[in-house]
Amino acid sequence: MAPNTSKSGKSTPKVSQKLNSVEKIFIKYRRCDSPQTWWIVFGVVCLLTAATRFYKVGEPEHVVWDETHFGKFGSWYINRTFFFDVHPPLGKMLIGAFGYLTGYDGMFPFVKPGDSYEGVSYLGMRVCCTAMGACLVPFAFIIVWEMTFSLPAATLAASLILFDVGLLTLTQYILLDPILLFFIMGSVVGIVKFHAQREKPFSISWWAWLCFTGSMLSGSVSTKFVGLFVVIYVGLHTIKSLWDLYGDLNNSLTYVAKHFLARALGLIVLPVVLYFVYFYIHLTVLCKSGNGDGFYSSAFQSQLEGNSLYNASMPLELAYGAEISLKNARTGGGYLHSHIHLYPEGSGARQQQITTYSHKDFNNKWLVKKWNEEPGDWEDDDPVELVKNGDLIRLEHVPTGRNLHSHREPSPVTKRHHQVTGYGENGMGDVNDVWRVEVVNGEEEEVVKTVVHKLRFVHYLVGCALMSHNKQLPKWGFEQMEVTCNPNVHDLNNLWNIEENVFPKLPNSSFEIYGPNFVEKFLESHTVMFQGNSGLKPKEGEITSQPWQWPINFKGQWFSAIDGFKVYLLGNPIIWWGNLFVLAAFVLVYFYHAYRTQRGKVDDTETKARRDKTLEACGWLVLAWGLHYLPFYAMGRILYFHHYFPALLFSSMLTGVILDYLLESLPSMVPQYLSSSVYPWLTGLFYSTLIYSFYLFAPLAYGMHNLDPSFENSTVHQIRWLDSWEF
Amino acid sequence: MDTGVRNRKNKSSPEAEKAIKGKIEEITSVDNHNMLKESIEKLKHLNENINRDSGDGESAPDTPPPETAPEDSLTTPSPTTTTPSTTTTTPSTTRTTESTTKPSVTQKSSARQKSKNAAKSAAAAPPLELSLRLDGMSVFLFVLAFITRIWKLETPKGIVFDELHYGKYASLYMQNTFFFDSQPPLGKQLIALAAYIAGFDGNFKFDRIGTPYDPVVPVSAMRIVPAFFGSLLMPTVYNTMVELGLSHYTGALAAFLMIFDNAVLAQSRFILMEGILMFFGVFGLLCILKFRRFYHQPYSVPWFVCLIIGAASLSACVCVRYFGIFTFLLGLGILTRDFWMMVGDRLVSERQLLGHFLTRAVIFITIPVALYIGCFYVHLSLLYKAGPNDNIMTSAFQASLEGGLASIIANQPVKVVHGSQITLRHTHGRTCWLHSHDAVYPVKYPDGRGSSHQQQVTCYSYKDVNNWWIVKKPEVEELVVTEPHEPIKNGDLVQLVHGLTSRALNSHDVAAGMSPHNQEVAAYIDYNVSMPAQTTWRVEILNSELSDGYWHAVESQIRLIHVNSSQALKFSGRQLPDWGFRQHEVVTDKVLDQEDTIWNVEEHRYTRTEDKKEREKDLLRSEMIPMERKNLTFWNKLFELQYKMLFNNQENVAGHMYASEPLDWLFLKRGVAYWISANSNAQVHFIGNIVTWLSGTLSLVAYLGLFVLYLLRRQRACYDLPEDSWNKFCTFGEVLGIGYAVHYIPYFLVDRTLFLHHYMPAYIFKLCMLAAMIEHGHYLVSQHFKAPRIAKLYLGAVGVWMVSIVYVFWFFAPVTYGTTDLTADQVMSMAWRETWDLIIHKQ
Repeated sequence: MAPNTSKSGKSTPKVSQKLNSVEKIFIKYRRCDSPQTWWIVFGVVCLLTAATRFYKVGEPEHVVWDETHFGKFGSWYINRTFFFDVHPPLGKMLIGAFGYLTGYDGMFPFVKPGDSYEGVSYLGMRVCCTAMGACLVPFAFIIVWEMTFSLPAATLAASLILFDVGLLTLTQYILLDPILLFFIMGSVVGIVKFHAQREKPFSISWWAWLCFTGSMLSGSVSTKFVGLFVVIYVGLHTIKSLWDLYGDLNNSLTYVAKHFLARALGLIVLPVVLYFVYFYIHLTVLCKSGNGDGFYSSAFQSQLEGNSLYNASMPLELAYGAEISLKNARTGGGYLHSHIHLYPEGSGARQQQITTYSHKDFNNKWLVKKWNEEPGDWEDDDPVELVKNGDLIRLEHVPTGRNLHSHREPSPVTKRHHQVTGYGENGMGDVNDVWRVEVVNGEEEEVVKTVVHKLRFVHYLVGCALMSHNKQLPKWGFEQMEVTCNPNVHDLNNLWNIEENVFPKLPNSSFEIYGPNFVEKFLESHTVMFQGNSGLKPKEGEITSQPWQWPINFKGQWFSAIDGFKVYLLGNPIIWWGNLFVLAAFVLVYFYHAYRTQRGKVDDTETKARRDKTLEACGWLVLAWGLHYLPFYAMGRILYFHHYFPALLFSSMLTGVILDYLLESLPSMVPQYLSSSVYPWLTGLFYSTLIYSFYLFAPLAYGMHNLDPSFENSTVHQIRWLDSWEF
Repeated sequence: MDTGVRNRKNKSSPEAEKAIKGKIEEITSVDNHNMLKESIEKLKHLNENINRDSGDGESAPDTPPPETAPEDSLTTPSPTTTTPSTTTTTPSTTRTTESTTKPSVTQKSSARQKSKNAAKSAAAAPPLELSLRLDGMSVFLFVLAFITRIWKLETPKGIVFDELHYGKYASLYMQNTFFFDSQPPLGKQLIALAAYIAGFDGNFKFDRIGTPYDPVVPVSAMRIVPAFFGSLLMPTVYNTMVELGLSHYTGALAAFLMIFDNAVLAQSRFILMEGILMFFGVFGLLCILKFRRFYHQPYSVPWFVCLIIGAASLSACVCVRYFGIFTFLLGLGILTRDFWMMVGDRLVSERQLLGHFLTRAVIFITIPVALYIGCFYVHLSLLYKAGPNDNIMTSAFQASLEGGLASIIANQPVKVVHGSQITLRHTHGRTCWLHSHDAVYPVKYPDGRGSSHQQQVTCYSYKDVNNWWIVKKPEVEELVVTEPHEPIKNGDLVQLVHGLTSRALNSHDVAAGMSPHNQEVAAYIDYNVSMPAQTTWRVEILNSELSDGYWHAVESQIRLIHVNSSQALKFSGRQLPDWGFRQHEVVTDKVLDQEDTIWNVEEHRYTRTEDKKEREKDLLRSEMIPMERKNLTFWNKLFELQYKMLFNNQENVAGHMYASEPLDWLFLKRGVAYWISANSNAQVHFIGNIVTWLSGTLSLVAYLGLFVLYLLRRQRACYDLPEDSWNKFCTFGEVLGIGYAVHYIPYFLVDRTLFLHHYMPAYIFKLCMLAAMIEHGHYLVSQHFKAPRIAKLYLGAVGVWMVSIVYVFWFFAPVTYGTTDLTADQVMSMAWRETWDLIIHKQ
């Protein structure tokens, strides 16, 4: 990590004769010609970071904001209770692990924000999360140093992150964000450090940094899926370096291939393996039934201790005469259900209602019959006949003796679909009761199997498929879900599976054997997660945060709104607005230089080298910023203010680099007698503004005691610069 | 036929070029050598572009053109190497094949010309002739396309798919009735114009797909608009391909693929927007590409014509469909890129650059803006009558329409005063009125929270007598309007008394039913029982400058701030369950500045009597006197309409039976049933030509693969293609590949029900890419195998492939035209893929 100062490509400041001691220090600082200087500066930055982050880390002693979710998830890991969440498991697992290691017993319920932590050892989890969040500052320092080899730039970038109250707030609690940000920044540190080893390929440090990057990447993706953006970033970085290697004709193709394979190993294979490992741990640790079961398929549930399907045993194959229950195979689908009530006047034919119902109930039982034979036609010693893919069957509702029936009448809620009813008496109905069973991706004549097969029931005459979805019936239908016959046979809501299967003549076999293996469970958790994620849509009338509001710090987010201790997540406006300003400046500078190059203007080599280096570093940072910000515009799901923070980190680093570039360019633009003192003055001015603004806004992060009598006169009322800030 | 003109150089130009080269080489220094080299390349390229087309006349025709030179020189690296020979032994095999296969068309068109202007053709070969020859092919393509499109245009004589909408819009235009649609109006206007010319009076109810047309509906006049534009598309595509540096054959092939694609045909045969949209888009691009030719004649007439028509056509594309913005951006991108090349041209001074930049900027800002606003101007001035779905607009807007709200609010007093009876409308978003009725909030909610058990206040989406409220000043007891009037001003405190139940609008610190983080709003009579009434509200008028601070009916947008809690009355967007009769919830919210807290008075009259019974009678009576419409300026209307169009969340037809996903489009997984005859299996099913479709997808993959391969090899300094072929390969890839991407990829981000026809604009680019790749394939084949036999074999294969395309087109023609009665077996034989849901009537 020690700096190799000889690499510094920037101009040496002119040393004039009359220099006071401050100026000397500054020159030392700018040149950074000894590792000692580097370590001193780095040490100071780390100390300040630790001081700001761990100050009042235990406050408030109640549940803050999303701690209610992530604390709860942590507890569930400790209790080994299965749950469902839209994010991958690593972050929550780490929180659980922190809690476990620091003596938290997982018994606190985390019901809602504001619940007091009395007597619960929550501090360990907070401190660990905060510690991960604190790493961001040194990480930024290292990244910018490796990109520019300029100590002032590194310090500037690190301090912009250090003194941002928003980041401070976000990384002080039991949340996924500090963990996510840690892994994102870690990945970037990894890739720049790895890049720095390019002179000695395949050395130990080269491999070490490669693997470090890979593991950090897997960490960020396994914490939240937005971690994918940093994977893209690292991918682009890698492609660029490979492209350069490949374009150098001195390198043989085998050599390039070796490089390629090594990177594939470290940046693709390793993260993928780690990702699987995290899921393996997740699925192994959570082995008890919890409140997330309903999101998963019957087969999945059969493996959870305490679930009604656990250790259940029933026939594997479906035979005529079996009593079954059918579950809609979509996420969260219910059981096919009927009851003695009829559809009301005006909602199609007045026949018995068919619904889906999420609870297990006697009314979910259906008898499987041949299309042309009644159960009475069979003798007891007839051979067992199995139901095969493509067979025509009828389903009789066991308690009421009515057959599952459909006809060309509009369904009560979804008018474009056909109504499904219970029809007939004691199993005698008409030809509209006949359904064809189709096994999805099944072979012809394949026997229909319990749980594992996804089935489609196609109405023989109308050609529509039995379907259920999330739409509720009105009060007359007890607000159960509507069941219709869907003319679009390929709809994914048309799929069902048999969950219970009672047929004494066939041997029972344990469910265990056709319970899903790890890979199937892994895939199913992903489908469920993606469905959950895309289901997070803003509802009508709900205000969601808009991406354009984020960079301008338009509106914050209440973390703790309890009287006596208020915390409000809001960025330090000086830093945020400054970042925007610098970003605009970068775009201008970039286009100015692009224009000059295109016009064929030539600069002297030193300026050019310095500028190119800066612009390259800036280019990568802008790319990272864009990758972490722009995709949110395309997202349909509900968005929050804190989604901007990964982008903010890169924006702040960019500001550091650009400011350093401008500060270095300035002395040459001012009169000679000023040139040696202008740098210290500007630096001093910059840092004092930064620290002062941090001091002003710090109460937002450390907590505002609004019941304190001095509160009314405190500074908090003066710093509400925008009306949209809600504190 | 004299085609040699194309090869003739403008005499001065190569010399100039040489001079330029010399100059540049002089100033070339070591460190920027590469950069310079590059710009020289570009310059050369540009010059070539100019040279090859410099046949537009002004230069003296002193060099007699070689009589029968091959007409195509687009791929010729430099004009000097062109041999004016007709033999097939020229080194470039590309040209060879062209000259071997060309004559038929050339002769045909030349024959036509000769007959036309036999007198002229002898001596000079003016460039006019050239353009006529080009027209020959274009005309042929147009005619062929037009015939396929208008054949039996009248059938089916029923509403086909979205004709339901576009036909209805046309009839509403005829009747001057306002309608709301979230797409801009230009396409609909063109169709309405045709209908108008054909004498349609709008008297036809477009109620559902399949309804047979009355004889009064000029079906063919309306269908001929898309058919015409859809046919113009073919010559446009042809010329665009030529402009991209591809051969005329390739251009014609692209047009051929489009003519014989069932999807393109169906889309331009019925009253649908895609035909118009695609034509404007491609034509705009063509102009922008043509514009490149006039690099050395800036500010000349053709230079301006290309730029202006290009801008206009691209903006017309946006005015038909908002998705046309991607075509517009593509055109703008090409223009910007060319400009950037010009920046690198050091013969152009900075002052000239600025001039160029400004001209382009001015043209590309004024024309789109003018056109866009223009078509809305026509739209709004034509549609001045109230219609069925103007509820979505604000009261002020509705009042400006004749016969709608205007008739209801006619003669109503403007200033809201103490004693005014009003209905309060939720201004933005969902249309509903503040409402209360004789039912109370349930004592306990399912989640265990309690309510105030007071009378419900809701937002109701229908007009109802329970929507009436009486404005009352807190200090005045009587409800009649006092003389003199006491108008309510911005910031005044008022109470709102519900007309029929006489309870006052009240809010208090009780969590609302569906939004527990907001306060409940109830109607309440203060009997001085347990709690003090909290019924005073402050009126905040948002646009008080319009009315001098007074509260006006209709136009004033107000916020009601609850005085005790400083929260604003808000429509929460949630629906109440059965106990609230599924009306919408009203709450107060501490976030004041949001759209859902804005309300306005819609209906308004003064209370004349204090007697409660009389007042009720008064309320129950409603007057209906049609009156003059209120005026709202065009700009106000435009802004409101724009806002509604862009931000109105359309009702999503989730799970439409024929909906498809962008990924399905690549492989033509699903079609769309457009129409089926009531008494036979004759039907229109929107499905593409599967051969073209899959080859198109394949060609994209091939392009990408080859591009990466070439790039990889070039990075290792293996130059497989000569520089000019490589440039050509990049040029068409840039326009066609990027064009495809920008028309396709955005659909992955669209959160709406999508259909196959959304893919059509991207599909056009895919077909062009397919044609271009076939040319490239031919080039590669003739490069690698010296024997001309192989190249011929390749062409033969292409020929077979083309025949198969025509066959498939012919095979599916019955369901594209919908004219033939089909048996069930015939229909089944067309379901080539399991997922193609063609319809069969049950016997």
